[in-house]
Amino acid sequence: MPNVNLSCFLLSYLVAFGLDVARLRSKLAWSRWVAILFGGAGLLAHTLYLLLRSSQSQLPPLLSSAHDWLLVLAWLAVLTHLFVSLLDATIASGLVVWPIVLALVGASYLVTSSQSQVLDFHRGWKMLHAAMLVLGTATILLGLVLSLLYLWQHRRLKGGQMRNSGLTLPSLERLERFNRWSILVSVPFLTFGVATGVLLSFLNDDDARLAWADPVVLGGSVMWLLMCGLFAWLLTGQRTPGRQVAWLTAWSGGFLLFMMVGLQVLTEVTRMPSLHGTGAKQQVRPMAK
Amino acid sequence: MNLLALYCTHQTTPLAIRERLAFASREQLAKAYAELRRRCPESEAVILSTCNRVELYLAQPGDDTEYTRQQLAQFLSEFHAVPLDEFVGELRADSGSEAVRHLFEVISSLDSMVLGEPQIVNQVKEAYRAAEEHGACGPLVHSLFQGAIHVSGRVRTETKLSEGRVSIASVAVGDFAKSIFDHFEDKLVLIIGAGEMAEETLRYLKDEGVREIVVINRNPERAERLAREWNGRAEPWADLDHWLGQADVIVSTTGAERPIIDAARFRKARAAAVGRTAFILDLGAPRDFEPAVGNLEDVFLYDIDSLRRTCDEHRHARSREIETARKIIAEEQSEFMAEFHRRASGDVVSRLMQDWHGVSKSELDRLFAKQPHLTAQDREAIERTVERIVNKLLHPPLETLKHESRDGAPHGLIDALKRLFRLDG
Repeated sequence: MPNVNLSCFLLSYLVAFGLDVARLRSKLAWSRWVAILFGGAGLLAHTLYLLLRSSQSQLPPLLSSAHDWLLVLAWLAVLTHLFVSLLDATIASGLVVWPIVLALVGASYLVTSSQSQVLDFHRGWKMLHAAMLVLGTATILLGLVLSLLYLWQHRRLKGGQMRNSGLTLPSLERLERFNRWSILVSVPFLTFGVATGVLLSFLNDDDARLAWADPVVLGGSVMWLLMCGLFAWLLTGQRTPGRQVAWLTAWSGGFLLFMMVGLQVLTEVTRMPSLHGTGAKQQVRPMAK
Repeated sequence: MNLLALYCTHQTTPLAIRERLAFASREQLAKAYAELRRRCPESEAVILSTCNRVELYLAQPGDDTEYTRQQLAQFLSEFHAVPLDEFVGELRADSGSEAVRHLFEVISSLDSMVLGEPQIVNQVKEAYRAAEEHGACGPLVHSLFQGAIHVSGRVRTETKLSEGRVSIASVAVGDFAKSIFDHFEDKLVLIIGAGEMAEETLRYLKDEGVREIVVINRNPERAERLAREWNGRAEPWADLDHWLGQADVIVSTTGAERPIIDAARFRKARAAAVGRTAFILDLGAPRDFEPAVGNLEDVFLYDIDSLRRTCDEHRHARSREIETARKIIAEEQSEFMAEFHRRASGDVVSRLMQDWHGVSKSELDRLFAKQPHLTAQDREAIERTVERIVNKLLHPPLETLKHESRDGAPHGLIDALKRLFRLDG
């Protein structure tokens, strides 16, 4: 297997981000392609890294550790960004996406990378639980990116600054529509993820005891309730100004990112028992025959 | 080769004169080409006539006949029945390499009223096509105009000369409205007043797919006329507040002496439209909307000054590209002229090669007749060797000729070669 480590793709993403920032000043056509090239190279290294870890632990990346879980989230964000960048040459999504990706990769340094050695109980359910949560979180992060782009575009338009600034942003109407959809899509994913988590805890008494004291579970539940509130407000409330929706999504997405990373780091630093951090290792069970 | 460009443009000549010298209709153009053919039978010609310029390009392959600026001016005068002294001072003429540069600058829009405007490329292409249609084109004009089209492509792709919109209405719709709305088919456009700029903005909005247009004017007849023209509907002035609440795009050019809509009135009008974005173009001077309206949530208000600022910035950005465009033009101009000069010496080169290879062939035929025992393989080997000797002997003079062609037709060398090798005979 190739010798790939976190620094390989972290550096690639940093260069891609730098090039996107440089495009704010000069509109050089090559810089976009070089940025895509670096992003693509980073994504390749990122993929190899996840595959390598997955083959070592004999587990899918979503189940092996919090470290891998965060990296899967970052991987999804990079993949989406590169896809959008290839479709639209002028869109400046990199300026918002790269900092989030860098934050996720950076946070993965801080959380446990120790892989669960055995995971045989309800493996399918656990996979579903992790997959739903990662998809829900990725959709909220997408909403965060869209809402930041919305607020940026709104500010530019209010200030009448539509000059040749070397970048373009999608229209407010499109950003608002996609932003609403990201919230509406994320909540079912999160709900299903939470429901499978509750089911898993009931299927195993030890997990159930631990789950209600697990800060990651508690924080995640609060987040889920918040998103459900936002979901209900969007569906049932009056037509809301796009800027308000953007601010709410930005706050929720930012809060989610902060909580998710913060709580993982907290459990790591304090060695608190957790089903999603270092504590998970302590809960390893003997392999079933 | 002789190339002459005679022209009067918006930069040199008033419209009053340009319009009298213009070739406005197809019939007029056909007659002009016929007349040019009669006067200058050996020439290839292209007439470029637009609202900003009237230009004549004339090219002859040899240097024997040279048409002068005076002759072409005379043609214009007699063709349009305009006394020569009324416009001759306004005419400009370029010949040879300068004429090439002028055409390259024209097609690259460096000579246009709006720098970077795209229409001129089509106008030049159309003029070239018309010249072809009237049988006025030959190899020189083909090469000149195809070269010009190539240059315009390079300037367009390698510079930012055409980037950024420069008219108020196009900036309003292309830069601002399209940054707010994704599509316009479901948007209601309200026109308050009936100014020219409102009509221009409507044209751009229509191009974007706007279907529903409401026109309100203090003068109902004018509102009716504009609504009919744009397939919209006129509504009474008294319903203004109702339509302010319904519209997504508002274009206002009332010509009122003071603002007619303040923030309180607008907020009240939009009370039922919470969460809906309003894009307002206040094209009136004095303004029709109080600036405070722009501070309301989901309202984007632009007045003529803010739009003009964007236009000026785009213009300024374009003008920074002029130097790059000129460098491309200079490069292409010198390439083009070198190619032209190479063609001028091309006749001599081919005759020289023909003569030398002819001599070698006849000598070889004589040799082979005397040496019948030579096999086909031997003969071929000897032929190849002699051909290589001839080519090697011709290489230095031909290279020198090519090198000298870069700075102009090497008449001295061509004459020397003709005399030394008796190529005229």
